[in-house]
Amino acid sequence: MPSSATDEFLVRAGRFLARGEVSEDLRTVTKHGGRDADAFYRDRWSHDKVVRSTHGVNCTGSCSWKVYVKDGIITWETQQTDYPTVGPDSPEYEPRGCPRGAAFSWYTYSPTRVRYPYVRGVLLDAYRAAKAANGGDPVQAWRAVTGDPETRRRYHRARGKGGLVRASWAETIELISAAHVATIDTYGPDRVFGFSPIPAMSMASHASGARFISLLGGSMLSFYDWYCDLPVASPQVFGDQTDVPESADWWNASYLIMWGANVPQTRTPDAHFMAEARYRGQKVVTVSPDYADNTKFADEWLSPHPGTDGALAMAMGHVVLKEFFVERQVPRFVEYVKRYSDLPFLVTLREKDGAYVPDKFVTAADLGDVGEHAAFKTVLVDAATGRPHVPNGSMGFRYGAEGEGRWNLDLEGVDPALSLHGAVGVATAEVLLPRFDTGQESGEGGGVHRRGVPAAELATTAGPRLVTTVFDLMLAQYGVRREGLPGEWPTGYDDPTPYTPAWQEGITGVPAAMAERIGREFAQNAEDSGGRSMIILGAGTNHWFHSDIIYRTFLVLTTLCATQGVNGGGWAHYVGQEKCRPVTGWAQVAFGLDWSRPPRQMIGTAFWYVNTDQWRYDAMGADQLASPLGEGRFAGRAMMDTLAQSARSGWMPSFPSLNRNPLTIAEEARAAGMEPAAYVAEQLRSGALRFAVEDPDAPENWPRVLTLWRANLLGSSSKGNEYFLKHLLGTDHAVRAEETPPESRPQEVTWRDEAPAGKLDLLVSIDFRMTSSGLFGDVLLPAATWYEKHDLSSTDMHPYVHAFTPAIDPPWETRSDWDIFQALGRGVSELAKGVLDTRTDIVTVPLQHDTPDELAVPGGVVRDWMRGEVDLVPGVTAPKFVAVDRDYTAIGARMSALGPLVEQLGTLTKGVQMDPTPEVAVLARANGVIPDGPAAGRPALVTDVHACETILALSGTTNGRIAVDGFRDLERRTGRRLADLAEDEEGKRIRFVDTQARPVPVITSPEWSGSEHGGRRYTAFAINVERLKPWHTLTGRQHCFLDHDWMAEVGEQLPTFRPPLNMHRIFGDQSTGVGKEVTVRYLTPHSKWSIHSEYQDNLFMLSLSRGGPEIWMSREDAETIGVRDNEWIEAYNRNGVVVARAVVSHRMPEGTVYMYHAKDRVVDVPRTETSGLRGGIHNSLTRLMIKPTHVIGGYAQLSFAFNYLGPTGNQRDEVTVIRRRSQEVEY
Amino acid sequence: MSTADILLWVALPYATIATFVVGTIWRYRYDKFGWTTRSSQLYERRLIRIASPLFHIGILAVLVGHVVGLVIPESWTEALGVSESLYHAMAVALGLFAGAATLVGIVLLIYRRRTVGPVFAATTRNDKTMYVFLGAAIALGLLTTLVGAGVLGEGHNYREDVSVWFRSILLFQPQPELMAEAPLSFRVHAVAGMLVFVIWPFTRLVHAFSAPLGYLFRPYVVYRDRGPHDPGSRAARPGWERIGQ
Repeated sequence: MPSSATDEFLVRAGRFLARGEVSEDLRTVTKHGGRDADAFYRDRWSHDKVVRSTHGVNCTGSCSWKVYVKDGIITWETQQTDYPTVGPDSPEYEPRGCPRGAAFSWYTYSPTRVRYPYVRGVLLDAYRAAKAANGGDPVQAWRAVTGDPETRRRYHRARGKGGLVRASWAETIELISAAHVATIDTYGPDRVFGFSPIPAMSMASHASGARFISLLGGSMLSFYDWYCDLPVASPQVFGDQTDVPESADWWNASYLIMWGANVPQTRTPDAHFMAEARYRGQKVVTVSPDYADNTKFADEWLSPHPGTDGALAMAMGHVVLKEFFVERQVPRFVEYVKRYSDLPFLVTLREKDGAYVPDKFVTAADLGDVGEHAAFKTVLVDAATGRPHVPNGSMGFRYGAEGEGRWNLDLEGVDPALSLHGAVGVATAEVLLPRFDTGQESGEGGGVHRRGVPAAELATTAGPRLVTTVFDLMLAQYGVRREGLPGEWPTGYDDPTPYTPAWQEGITGVPAAMAERIGREFAQNAEDSGGRSMIILGAGTNHWFHSDIIYRTFLVLTTLCATQGVNGGGWAHYVGQEKCRPVTGWAQVAFGLDWSRPPRQMIGTAFWYVNTDQWRYDAMGADQLASPLGEGRFAGRAMMDTLAQSARSGWMPSFPSLNRNPLTIAEEARAAGMEPAAYVAEQLRSGALRFAVEDPDAPENWPRVLTLWRANLLGSSSKGNEYFLKHLLGTDHAVRAEETPPESRPQEVTWRDEAPAGKLDLLVSIDFRMTSSGLFGDVLLPAATWYEKHDLSSTDMHPYVHAFTPAIDPPWETRSDWDIFQALGRGVSELAKGVLDTRTDIVTVPLQHDTPDELAVPGGVVRDWMRGEVDLVPGVTAPKFVAVDRDYTAIGARMSALGPLVEQLGTLTKGVQMDPTPEVAVLARANGVIPDGPAAGRPALVTDVHACETILALSGTTNGRIAVDGFRDLERRTGRRLADLAEDEEGKRIRFVDTQARPVPVITSPEWSGSEHGGRRYTAFAINVERLKPWHTLTGRQHCFLDHDWMAEVGEQLPTFRPPLNMHRIFGDQSTGVGKEVTVRYLTPHSKWSIHSEYQDNLFMLSLSRGGPEIWMSREDAETIGVRDNEWIEAYNRNGVVVARAVVSHRMPEGTVYMYHAKDRVVDVPRTETSGLRGGIHNSLTRLMIKPTHVIGGYAQLSFAFNYLGPTGNQRDEVTVIRRRSQEVEY
Repeated sequence: MSTADILLWVALPYATIATFVVGTIWRYRYDKFGWTTRSSQLYERRLIRIASPLFHIGILAVLVGHVVGLVIPESWTEALGVSESLYHAMAVALGLFAGAATLVGIVLLIYRRRTVGPVFAATTRNDKTMYVFLGAAIALGLLTTLVGAGVLGEGHNYREDVSVWFRSILLFQPQPELMAEAPLSFRVHAVAGMLVFVIWPFTRLVHAFSAPLGYLFRPYVVYRDRGPHDPGSRAARPGWERIGQ
């Protein structure tokens, strides 16, 4: 009833004032009609259709979204909730989807959308004029435009300065095609490049251009190492690239360390698993220098100084070894490391300076075995007999007939001796070990300390040698004392010598007691829970110059504690979305393996280091990295020299490869009547032919044409951005660095006094939004967004695949990547007639991982043919030179059809052979066949749907028959039962429509090392541990010890601590003396408001954050330079300059600043005071530094594969100077 | 009588009425989503709880005062036996009270608007202009009350000239000469008042027409049936027409 008499009176009176029936109790009135008042609201939230799609950025979220369309307009998106179940006793995947993803539809109609093809006006005018002057011949026109230095210079100078004009699709396709044809004809196909990262985030779109580039003979540039997301420790330790647990497996961990990984901020949709696991009793520890978002979830927060994480992990390893392996032996741990790690294997000791240094793994060849691949069969000691024993599973069993059925981890009853300590007849030896915590004043080399190991004499073919085990070396390295051993040892945890908790306190600032306790807890939990201790590691620890060695100290913890291959345990690295689960099918489509093999694939970092001429400014010689125990292998050599050696030795790819057009070389070989490989070898020996990397500034060795798609090179990943602008593009830049003085210049690489400015003839950027890459590009093509095309998405954090589906057709003149490259393929074919026609190309192929190539360098003993240490043998001491016939008039036809090599040669992934013949027949029916032309009768690959269908059909994860076929191949090699992991799903085939209906769980496949069998959560190496399948390493086990010559040279045979590079010492003081300045560590982590599911220019996200470029700094540093929150500052060093607003926060530690990653030039970028130019992206302050050990190749797990191994584009060691600038900014 | 007098007391009043009526219809037709108080209560609550009722109750009393003073002829009140002096005493007492409440209210509101950051950030140029006009009219109105009552100057019976003029406008028989001779303060207030009505349709002031008086007389649950319903048959609404048809 109404609450008072007055109310009642008013309502009763009101009955006479309005229409409608008032109820007796006076609570309700019922009116007729009048619903139109809410029509606006109903219209706003009504839609015509809902379409499933997702976001194709490097987001490991893999969230599926409902995209709503009304009247042909994309209106908004909401989260899908139909994920496969995680299973009982675990939280489910949903709810998932973050505000960034929910803001994506803004882009479709945003002002930043690229709606039409654009060409730089200066270039287009020149091209049109040249075409008219050349009788309408586009190829001749392109030659004329680029052949005239004045014209070339003019459009180079215009890059980044506007002047883009609209052009028709027909004209832009013609121009780009002409550039490709002319470049291939003049300079060679290996002067053509494509860059597009992270296939997993949209496989067909990635494959579209990669297929085009690969079929041309151009080179795809790697991204994973270039982004520095690739942990080099992963190939070093596991022989596999980043295989990790899915996020739902975090729930299974009972002890979780987040180490430099800010899960709630950068893995937002999956962070709930971590939060939920806390309710299950999981202990959460964060390690981060700043008060990061994830710290508020943590039970403990360790805050080491940036870049010193390795010291903390070494101390934790010290505690684990001492308490769980020496003072007490945990049976589970000991059993594990004996079977699954290299710890029991024997290593020789070499005399040096009156003591010994660790040398090489003992192999069967040392014991006199002259059989197949004996130099790759490593040796341990049988504890029962005390005799050397050659167990199964090492690399020597992986290839060749004798090893068949024996490449497995079955010890066949032998109990390996972990240590020689205390065994009969064993002596001791004093070993010299490098340490890098001291002696850093004059170089990065450090000092030496003495420890001792038990050592026994072993009769080898080279005479008696002292040997010890890797485990004994590890105890010496970590400083864990045992009775009776010589050398200097820490007396206890409180002794500040390497590598005790007290020692690390002086370096990291983390209290010794805390480091000790966390190390103990990690191991204790692993013992109690059966290995469910996990470390999530991230870019905070992975983007350093020495990240490989930092990661190895972490991986020691997970291996020692028997956590790898166990659900809820192990390492979990999600930096960069690297897991393209249907990898086999994607690789076939992307690299055109169905038509020609091998494709050209280049290591990104080396490519940019060389071709942006950053090597000319690199003051850090390779010898500065050398250990004091080194043999002088790097003496007097620059980083560039090590790259050149790697290239000529066939360790790493190098494109452009030779200093002549490979098409010309093939003709020369034919004229000389020689086999191409023999001809090239002879020419190289005589010096008539050289590697391009030995003279990268010669015009014939420049990269000429570069196409970017799904990539923002110049606004995001271009470390050393200003060097890109200066040398690669030839436009305005803010480089202030001096070139390397003559005494530090490379010895084996030609130095040209005049550095080129403007190497690229053509930069094509294909994107749906305007980026810095577009601003600097010559041609800008409008792409479809992720809501406008068909594609596939998968991640490492979720064992399912799901689809992109167009909600609308590409609007304006935009097109999908697939359609754009199909048009380019046709364009090139058309223009190639009469110019290129059919040619033979000689591809310079590096020694490949997971192939017998990795047997090329026994013992990791480096011999250089150029120095006469060994003969040049292609495929052994040099790259392979493979002739490939290319019909350039058929490029378009081949792009749109699945070629015959798929069934003729089969498919190969990580050494597993699969035969997809039945699938080709299925695809012919599903996609239809090409009726005529060069690809007549082949299954169609005309549309993006065809591509998706093909990728799914050819991959084991999405096709049970392929998985079983691969497992059977692996069974023959390992002699172990494996196929049952997929047999119950042999008939399962995931079709594209299935992925459009809902995310589909994948099938357990030999393409990966984990298992989803029976609905279990994916964790890496489950198959290795449970089925005794070896790791793809030298010993077939997880490696703590690396015996390659160069690893010894830099003192990184064993895990150790190396501090961040001393940039001040290497490059000198960066301050200018103008105003109050502060020099700080400059870090570029991932942002809360842009990474990963969209970008920083999104209006919604700009509104949620401060918007525009900003640098986070501590109150102390801000006070030093007198800057207050939100004031304009300028950050600068020799690499460039950045203008930003200061965010002054107590969250930041003193001496460290953050500028979030991928601050592009498109939002609020004023002119700088320092350079007068529009100022800077986050990477304007960084530059590339190459670590020579990353370019090792041809030796076991240290062999090249695309995005598996390569030098990292690290940038965390950089420092910058900051000052307050005039608050008056100009744009 | 000058041309200025004709413009001010004949042309301006009719222009005001026309702008007010046509402007309001236009605004209602084309800016329904903008037809709002644009309340800032979310940003600040303490001051507005005092200032807003003070102002609104005051201004309503002022409105009643104006209606009585301008529309009801003096002869009518005299017929009721209310003498000139009694009427004025009442008018001044109530007028001062209401005027003071209104003035204090608006001063507080403007103070709040200027000093509370979020409220100031939500203040548009349109708002600021409106405050100038409204504030001026109120201040001048209070002045005329004091003048009319003889508190300031000699006192003036506006019901003999201003009110008659006002009614003459409504009756379409304008007598501008009456205003031409009225005291300056009355003339200025009248112009200021008219200007408020000129800008009215284009400002937040339109919310006065949407005062939810009906709530007082209505049960709190309202049901509306759909009426005759034919799915998909609803006519397109302006701004929501289907594309491509």
